[in-house]
Amino acid sequence: MKKPSHECQVVVITSGKGGVGKTTTVANVSMGLANLGYKVVALDLDIGLKKLDLIMGLENRVIYDIVQVLEGECTIKQAVVKDRRNPNLYMLPAAQTRNKEDVTEEQIKKLIAELRKEFDFVLLDSPAGIEQGFRNAIAAADWAVVVTNPEISAVRDADRIIGMLESAQFNNIKLIVNRIRPEMVKDGDMLSIEDLLNHLCIDLIGIVPEDTRVVISTNTGEPIILSQNSLAGKAFSNIARRFTKEEVPFMNLEHNDSFWEKLKNMGRSVFSSKQVG
Amino acid sequence: MMEFAKKRGSSDTANERLHLVLMHDRIGTSSGILEQIKDEIIKVILKHIDVDADPEVNLTSQGRQSVLDINIPLKGR
Ligand SMILES: Nc1ncnc2c1ncn2[C@@H]1O[C@H](COP(=O)(O)OP(=O)(O)O)[C@@H](O)[C@H]1O
Ligand SMILES: [Mg+2]
Repeated sequence: MKKPSHECQVVVITSGKGGVGKTTTVANVSMGLANLGYKVVALDLDIGLKKLDLIMGLENRVIYDIVQVLEGECTIKQAVVKDRRNPNLYMLPAAQTRNKEDVTEEQIKKLIAELRKEFDFVLLDSPAGIEQGFRNAIAAADWAVVVTNPEISAVRDADRIIGMLESAQFNNIKLIVNRIRPEMVKDGDMLSIEDLLNHLCIDLIGIVPEDTRVVISTNTGEPIILSQNSLAGKAFSNIARRFTKEEVPFMNLEHNDSFWEKLKNMGRSVFSSKQVG
Repeated sequence: MMEFAKKRGSSDTANERLHLVLMHDRIGTSSGILEQIKDEIIKVILKHIDVDADPEVNLTSQGRQSVLDINIPLKGR
């Protein structure tokens, strides 16, 4: 593997609540960053419930898993799975038959220190919950992305996670709102982006609409970011570009133009704000 | 004349419920605590000064910071 040209960023994708779109985000943003020419590895830290291999369509290439790496049964190089579409993209699968308690924060820190030498981006797919698996996932991250849905129980969990990240001294936490349905927001039957930002008080890094093609892409193992003219795919590629600190305007999915003007201007401060990694 | 009452979207209710729940989550309390605080405060205050009405005790937020807002009207002479 060649040495990266940029300083490595380790980003944890987390949420509290399950099923909000963490794994989908990791798969797509990793692919997006690889398409931009960065060398990327996506780590599945949902030990015991692995899924990232399937979502990325790489399940047939898996030989070893992350627990075997941590326990010294194989090398990192042997265990990382190379993507078949993009030579910049790698994935380190979770173990299916082990528990989250089999992995310690110290082990993860050591592994990530090694990965930093080889990659531009390390994306960590966090399990749901706030227990050991979550603590492992945030142990070595430079900054964090919280994924939520415009739905009260998901927002409540997101708020809890943001509080925990703040307690863990994270000062760069960004929000992705996934599965927004503009027509429901318009009818006043779904929390809007503005509502979510008012409640959670953190910076936005992406808005992903509900898109039935996400389900299709899960079936085929082809991340949605690879399909032309899909709104969700476009949203994920915008997020990938924002990871590289590029200023990309938010797609106007809502019929609230005055708020979108504000968001556009906000974009400037959002992406120039202090970055840790 | 026909009344075209503006239908209130369910997201308004969601916002109100979320607001309360998040403020309590952040400080680790439940909503009943405010009534209790009110009762205890009035006892303490009454030991020293005359109070004109029940104190108002509200949780508000400034960004992610929760603020306990206590308003106690006092009796003048
Ligand atoms: N924008 C979206 N539109 C439609 N379906 C989505 C979207 N994002 C995620 N999903 C679906 O939601 C489910 C949960 O997503 P996943 O990424 O596995 O969540 P998590 O990793 O947070 O548990 C999956 O079936 C996925 O296909
Ligand atoms: Mg997942």
